Amino acid sequence: MASIVSVNSLSVSYRSGGRDVPVVHEVSWGVAEGRTLALVGESGSGKSTLAGTLLGHLRHGSRITDGSVHVDGKDVFALPARELRRLRGTTVAMVAQNAGHALTPSMRIGRQIEEVGGDVPVLDLLEQVRLPRPAELARRYPHELSGGQQQRVAIAMAIAARPKVLVLDEPTTGLDVVTQRSVLDLIGALRDELGLAAVLVSHDLGVVARMADEVTVLRSGRVVESAPTRRLFTAPQDPYTRRLLASVPRLDDAGLALVGETGEREIRPRAVLSPEAEVAVSARDVTIDYGSSRAVHGVSFDVRRGEVLALVGESGSGKSTLAWTLAGLRTSSGGTMIHASGDLARLAGKRPLDLRRRVQLVFQNADTSLNPRRSVGDAVRRPLRFFGTVQGRTQAAARARELISDVRLDPALADRLPAQLSGGQRQRIGIARALAGGPDVLIADEITTALDVSVQADVLRLLDDLRRERDLACLFISHDLAVVRGIADRVIVLRHGVVVEEGPTEAVFAEPGHPYTRQLMAAALEPDPDARPLAADVADWADAAEPDSVWTDHGHGHRVRRWRPVTTDGTVPTERTVTTEGVA
Amino acid sequence: MTTLDTAPVAAPVASATRAARAWRTLRSSRTALVGLTIVAVHVLIALLAPLLTSYDPVANDASHALLGPGWEHWAGTDQYGRDVLARVLYGGRYALGVSVAATVLTVALGTVVGCAAALRGGWLDDVLGRVLDAVLSVPSILALLVIVTALGTGPAVIVLAIAVVYVPQVVRVVRGAALAVVPADYVTAARARGERTWSILWREILPNITDVVCVEFAMRASWVVLLISSLSFLGFGADPPTPDWGLMVAENRTAITVVPMASLAPIIALATLVVGLNLAADGLSKAWGVDRIREGS
Amino acid sequence: MLSFVARRVGAAAGTLVLSSVIVFLAVQALPGDVATQILGKDATPDAVAALRGKLGLDQPAWERYAHWMRGALHGDFGASLVSSRPVGGEVATYLGNSALIALVTVLFAVTGSIVLGIVAGLNRDRWPDHLISTVSLVGMSVPEFVVATVLVLCFSVALPWFPAVVLYGPEASAGRLLPAVWLPALALAVVMAAYIVRMARTSVIDVMASEYVTTARLKGLSTWRVVTRHALPSALLPTLHVIALNVAWLAGGVAVVENVFNYPGIGKLMLSSVQNRDLPVIQAIALISAVIYVVCNLAADVGAMALNPKLRTGGRTR
Repeated sequence: MASIVSVNSLSVSYRSGGRDVPVVHEVSWGVAEGRTLALVGESGSGKSTLAGTLLGHLRHGSRITDGSVHVDGKDVFALPARELRRLRGTTVAMVAQNAGHALTPSMRIGRQIEEVGGDVPVLDLLEQVRLPRPAELARRYPHELSGGQQQRVAIAMAIAARPKVLVLDEPTTGLDVVTQRSVLDLIGALRDELGLAAVLVSHDLGVVARMADEVTVLRSGRVVESAPTRRLFTAPQDPYTRRLLASVPRLDDAGLALVGETGEREIRPRAVLSPEAEVAVSARDVTIDYGSSRAVHGVSFDVRRGEVLALVGESGSGKSTLAWTLAGLRTSSGGTMIHASGDLARLAGKRPLDLRRRVQLVFQNADTSLNPRRSVGDAVRRPLRFFGTVQGRTQAAARARELISDVRLDPALADRLPAQLSGGQRQRIGIARALAGGPDVLIADEITTALDVSVQADVLRLLDDLRRERDLACLFISHDLAVVRGIADRVIVLRHGVVVEEGPTEAVFAEPGHPYTRQLMAAALEPDPDARPLAADVADWADAAEPDSVWTDHGHGHRVRRWRPVTTDGTVPTERTVTTEGVA
Repeated sequence: MTTLDTAPVAAPVASATRAARAWRTLRSSRTALVGLTIVAVHVLIALLAPLLTSYDPVANDASHALLGPGWEHWAGTDQYGRDVLARVLYGGRYALGVSVAATVLTVALGTVVGCAAALRGGWLDDVLGRVLDAVLSVPSILALLVIVTALGTGPAVIVLAIAVVYVPQVVRVVRGAALAVVPADYVTAARARGERTWSILWREILPNITDVVCVEFAMRASWVVLLISSLSFLGFGADPPTPDWGLMVAENRTAITVVPMASLAPIIALATLVVGLNLAADGLSKAWGVDRIREGS
Repeated sequence: MLSFVARRVGAAAGTLVLSSVIVFLAVQALPGDVATQILGKDATPDAVAALRGKLGLDQPAWERYAHWMRGALHGDFGASLVSSRPVGGEVATYLGNSALIALVTVLFAVTGSIVLGIVAGLNRDRWPDHLISTVSLVGMSVPEFVVATVLVLCFSVALPWFPAVVLYGPEASAGRLLPAVWLPALALAVVMAAYIVRMARTSVIDVMASEYVTTARLKGLSTWRVVTRHALPSALLPTLHVIALNVAWLAGGVAVVENVFNYPGIGKLMLSSVQNRDLPVIQAIALISAVIYVVCNLAADVGAMALNPKLRTGGRTR
């Protein structure tokens, strides 16, 4: 089959501080008509730069130093301005990473789609991307849509002029799993329907496994490996590819996966928790309000020393709100939260010093959690001095270096500024800072979300080591079920601030009782083109919890909020009362 | 497998990097360097004025009035026979002295209040915002004139008056910059530790807005110089025999067709100083990437 | 949308009340007794006391404030201490003359500077940008009285096109003042435009680097369409407030320029009233300036609403 896109030994450089920094180095690849190629890589691999070149787009300051890009037989970077404009939209179209930023805020949706040109009416396009009530939607402004809807509008805009090649730059990053799943399904369907060739840029191997026919793995601007999808996932040749694949957490891991240099996986069995382990934090019926809306609604749990309890949910589930409240950064409006040495219902400023020291929060984004103008050693020393853990400057400095090596970093890094560290190193410093006070409760708020997958594996392992060494009670907040599967001892699934299911990790993953849990599992994508979803698709359901019977108990602490199935027209199909067996 | 991450770049020591960083910024921005050089030259001239000219800037000499530029008087003389060059050289003392004092006071007060407002938020911030807006709504020149007529035209009064007029604007800029820092997780972390407001301000916020404050200082200084010269021009600033640029323009403007140099020389001095300050502000803000915050004021 | 406007109007009214209090207190705090000043230093204590009673100076401050505000709301600012004429009428005459200058200034400065700012922003780091940026930097660095003096030198002395000074009093008709309007307006426009140009340039550069402008470009739209439809509405947003502040600044900014040209406007009145300690006039001018400031900002807020649908549709998200 003829290739519609061909990139020949392309090199791109970025001009910075008076010298050229190569971003892409002699990269060649191509896509045949109607096929989907995925460009995979971690941050800094040059994959987004490559995607832009298909439309003749380079960032301010970048330039082509060698090679060429041909799309539909035309040399993109040799085209005159007028023809390049015609190429964009009609031959190649791009769906940008973050639709919320990619849509013009001051223009109505309909107008933005319309101006692309093409013969398809706007309303048909909106219908084609499965948006409800297109006529009304076309008159809205971007900020009036949800993230998933914005992404669908961006897709409608891209296919408006019926291009031949669709470039998808991280099309689902930032969307919730369930939304991601439906957007991917949509893209797949449209691609087949319109016979498009697609270039998918992604860091997510699960997405790639599901969507691509062929995969090109990039690292630091060079091609590491290119292969058809199935072969790449079943028999990766390059050690980097193997390590990358092995680093992805799986839904069926029985414990934390430890990844070797060449990509061998070893599953570490879960830590055995002694039955006498003391309860570190006990929360009962915690309710938290955000102005007039309720973010967390009557959540109860215990975390014991040495235990990892995971709070899982999509955005808006209240999981991070709960974490910040426990850390004393927000007030609760009801219920109790007790720690062995004090009441956690009070704000941090009003807690006794000892309690503040014992409950520590690690932030999601290591880039903003360290003061960019202070050395990382300073970041660790400050809580040491503040909590009075050590006396004197020299002792504090020595202890800070110890802590930095405790998080498996070179103590010589103490004099660096955060900007001189990699993302993974910064997150370790964030953990070291939390450990400085000698806490017994660690609240980890999405601490691996912003990290590349190989770095994520290392940080997870560090966290697992630390809780074993220090007997930490750990509250692990995450949206990613696969990550939780490896590290957590127990899981709580939150939806709109309400607990729908909780129990030991093994039990919940083996027999998810609540349809919402099953929905999350079904939407999770495994890095395996042949993977069957862990749970079947789920029918509609409704909450059936009564004040005096909220739970269905499955034994061993595994309990599920009561629910009942609902048919699409809103009626209860059978007279069966509460069921946790699900619907057929 | 152990993960002892090693350094990706050579390791400079953080404390030394602050000075080095400032120097690198300067070197990378030619604009800032040129601007600061111009300002430095002005400062030097003001300090060394007695060595650069042998004339007394306030001595009248009726026999030599209204001379054009010549060997004896390089820039000529004014209507009272005073040497124009000497007056311009000495004039920098008044302009720089008063402006630097006024700017330091203004920026210091504005920074403290602005940071506190951003950090505390709530009703304090609301009330402060309202009051500052009300103060800003009165034209600064009118406020200045009223204060100066009430309290006299001494340098101390002018410094105070400028602080009253400009502090609200500095507060706005600094508050805006600090608001961008306050939600950062490192500030949250300090709050979760239970650190005191002052400690957060000093350790976490100030180091991250020094660039904004520096740019604001240069920018504000240029405005203050302009304002002071306008005040002198109107007859409300420096008292007549004092060598001051604004005053000189006012005095010699009527004779501009006879001795243009007597008006032009102070204008050139004034303009170069302000251009220097503006270039410094511009260059620094571009090098540090804070131009948006400032111009939004 | 209505609630947004209502909130802004409410805030503006609050600011005005606060400004009036500040103005009143500041003027009250001025040293020297008004009655003594009117009657001269040799007046007998009885005469001073009588005048104080007549002027209401023996009443508590808040009552005098209430009295003053009640009058101000009806356009009655009391009588000038110098001319004994009603302040309201006098200020209105001078203000009208200044409005002539302000109108011309705003017209030239705003349109010109927005166009120049956009041109500079779109041609970032190329010669039009360098030229415009340099000129605006110089415009910012030279005080108004210098610009005015240079203009007089060029267009009154060298080329006698415009009058160097105004010889008419405040009661002159607009037609007679018109020839004298251009130079002061030009001097003010140069200074004012410098700030607006810089703001417009920065925000155009920002918006042109945004993801949605990149997306619009990658849709294959023409540069003209990308700039006018996608970039400008957002780019003008921050510029709007700078324009408002500058227009409000004119209320005081005219003082220096009007003095250079001897133009009978509000700035000149301001200066002479300060010199004469004509307190009712000072109070009136300060209050009217505050009104101008507040109205300009309000106008900018409403303008922002027109450009930004997020403000228009209020909290309606999703």
